[in-house]
Amino acid sequence: MTTEVAGPPGGAVESKGLKSGALGLASTVVIGVASTAPAYSLAATLGFVTFYVGLKAPAVMWLAFLPMGCIAAAFFYLNRADPDCGTNFSWVTRAMGPRWGWLGGWSSLMADLIVMPSLAFIAAQYTFLLFGWDSLTNNTYCMMAVGLAFILGMTWICFVGIELSARTQFGLLATELAILVLFSTVALAKAFGGTRGFVHPEWSWLTPTGFGGVSSLSSALLIAVFIYWGWDTAASVNEESENANTTPGLAGVLSTFILVAIFVITTIAAQSVRGAGLLTDNPDDVLHATGKIVFGNSGLGTLFFKLLIVAVLTSAAASCQTTILPAARTALSMAIHRAFPPRYGEVDHRYLTPAFSTWVFGVVSSVFFATLMIVARYSHGDVLTWAADAVGLMIAYYYGQTGFACVLYYRKHIFKSVKNFIFVGLLPLVGGLTLAFIFLWGLKDFSDPTWEDPPTSWFGFSPVFWIGLGTLLAGIPLMYWWNSKDHAFFRVKADPIERRPPPEGGVPLPPLVPEGAPR
Amino acid sequence: MSGEVILGYDGEPGSRAALTTAVAIAGAFKRPLVITFGYAPAPIGGEVADLSKAVQDIGERIAKEAVGQARALDASVETRVELVNDRPADALLRAADEFDALAIVVGSTGRGPIAGTVLGSVTYQVVHRSKRPVVVVPSP
Repeated sequence: MTTEVAGPPGGAVESKGLKSGALGLASTVVIGVASTAPAYSLAATLGFVTFYVGLKAPAVMWLAFLPMGCIAAAFFYLNRADPDCGTNFSWVTRAMGPRWGWLGGWSSLMADLIVMPSLAFIAAQYTFLLFGWDSLTNNTYCMMAVGLAFILGMTWICFVGIELSARTQFGLLATELAILVLFSTVALAKAFGGTRGFVHPEWSWLTPTGFGGVSSLSSALLIAVFIYWGWDTAASVNEESENANTTPGLAGVLSTFILVAIFVITTIAAQSVRGAGLLTDNPDDVLHATGKIVFGNSGLGTLFFKLLIVAVLTSAAASCQTTILPAARTALSMAIHRAFPPRYGEVDHRYLTPAFSTWVFGVVSSVFFATLMIVARYSHGDVLTWAADAVGLMIAYYYGQTGFACVLYYRKHIFKSVKNFIFVGLLPLVGGLTLAFIFLWGLKDFSDPTWEDPPTSWFGFSPVFWIGLGTLLAGIPLMYWWNSKDHAFFRVKADPIERRPPPEGGVPLPPLVPEGAPR
Repeated sequence: MSGEVILGYDGEPGSRAALTTAVAIAGAFKRPLVITFGYAPAPIGGEVADLSKAVQDIGERIAKEAVGQARALDASVETRVELVNDRPADALLRAADEFDALAIVVGSTGRGPIAGTVLGSVTYQVVHRSKRPVVVVPSP
């Protein structure tokens, strides 16, 4: 908030400070949970998790949270040191230098890009299922049309800056959670009641052993990491909360418990319907296939079943918004810090949103989605598998890098207290190492075209390998191209360690690139 | 000081008409004029800070231009600018409370009637939530 004074000649006017709006406990929790979009995440991934680990899916759901929780500590404390930029792009730049920082920003953009086909696919799939036009889901061009309309519609919404009020969002999320709880309750009641066909849940579904090999576990984790993606948003919003001392911590703990519980319980419920096989056989519409059996054909059952589908759709829309907004804002940040062409930093005067970045992202993801749909049709592959696995790789890369950046950034503070050691040293390091392992092991597995189902080979490697690693590496020539146009950002040095504020907070850091720096 | 005239200004044609009226009221009642520009990016989607700053720069430019116009209309009116990091309607209402304002002046439509219905009209919100007089100036 700034105040500018322009009084009549000689007339001095004092300025009043107006504080920015603050978020309460409930809205902070809502933002954290809504950004993760539980119904959509489950719809898009559950079938692939069971493909890799079978009935061990619930164990993977809670295991995947551990590295994500560790990285959340890194997000929280890096945000404290550098809240004015607050992007993993600027954090990594400060900790590891401009080239790593540029790649960090690029990888988060690419993660956003890769997830778009998955979102559009699920949106199209469940739109047709909602109206009972099940046969249209096999028509590539119908799916493509609805998916493209969805992407471009959501891009327009982000461009115009339409925001659902906190209350509407609260209502949508409450409905989404309520219907997932209802689904789980009914399914589990039938399973424990011994209804024919249902599978009685077992403790062994939750124990972290017997996954059938490192590759199965790491692939399943790669996908499950994707379901917790977005949860870190809550960590960065925290600083703006009403009572900065208690609200953020409490909101973080609450949204964590809600998410882990929802994912684990819904997974148990879904696989108790007909075992893991039904999920693996219907990876494109798990909640539709299981929901139909759980809720049955009665009047009320049909209503709940439709509500479940609507919940997936609203959740996909919310998730799409929380993908486009950060992508456009990352591009804007990078442009403002002269790491991207200046056009990406343009803000629309009417809607006050990053217009150019938003539209470029919308158009590029539309092209990407359409291309994947057509390639999948003619190579008999599956867009959803590719997107889910490749986005997992990209998230593992950029979250892992953030974990290492945190450790490097605070290296002088780690041994100053037990709290520091745990939160800015141990947890980020463990998270970073775990994700690095999943990333590398995933690359190794995806280099084999028969690793996935259906097996598809692009020049001898699985498509996931190309989408995941190719988009990341494509950034390198672009980076050097931009370096040749404007060198200012690439002259930034990793901050001298004495100037960095400790994890407890301190004076904000100066901007990355000084104003008016030469090209 | 209190009893200021608060003007909601975003640089759109609707708010330009409101500016003229607000200067006239401030001049007639011998009150200072506060030109308010409010905007808060959605907290969902992380990475708010750089966007906020870019929007603030736009706000400063728009507001500076408004101050120039207000001066040209009536140089005796004391004019100040408040850039508030909040949604536009909340920004106006809060500024009005802080200043114990005489009145809030807004344009009738910023975005046109249809867009206003879909996106939510700042004017509509202010009219219904304000505890103070609100002057709504129709677009020319």
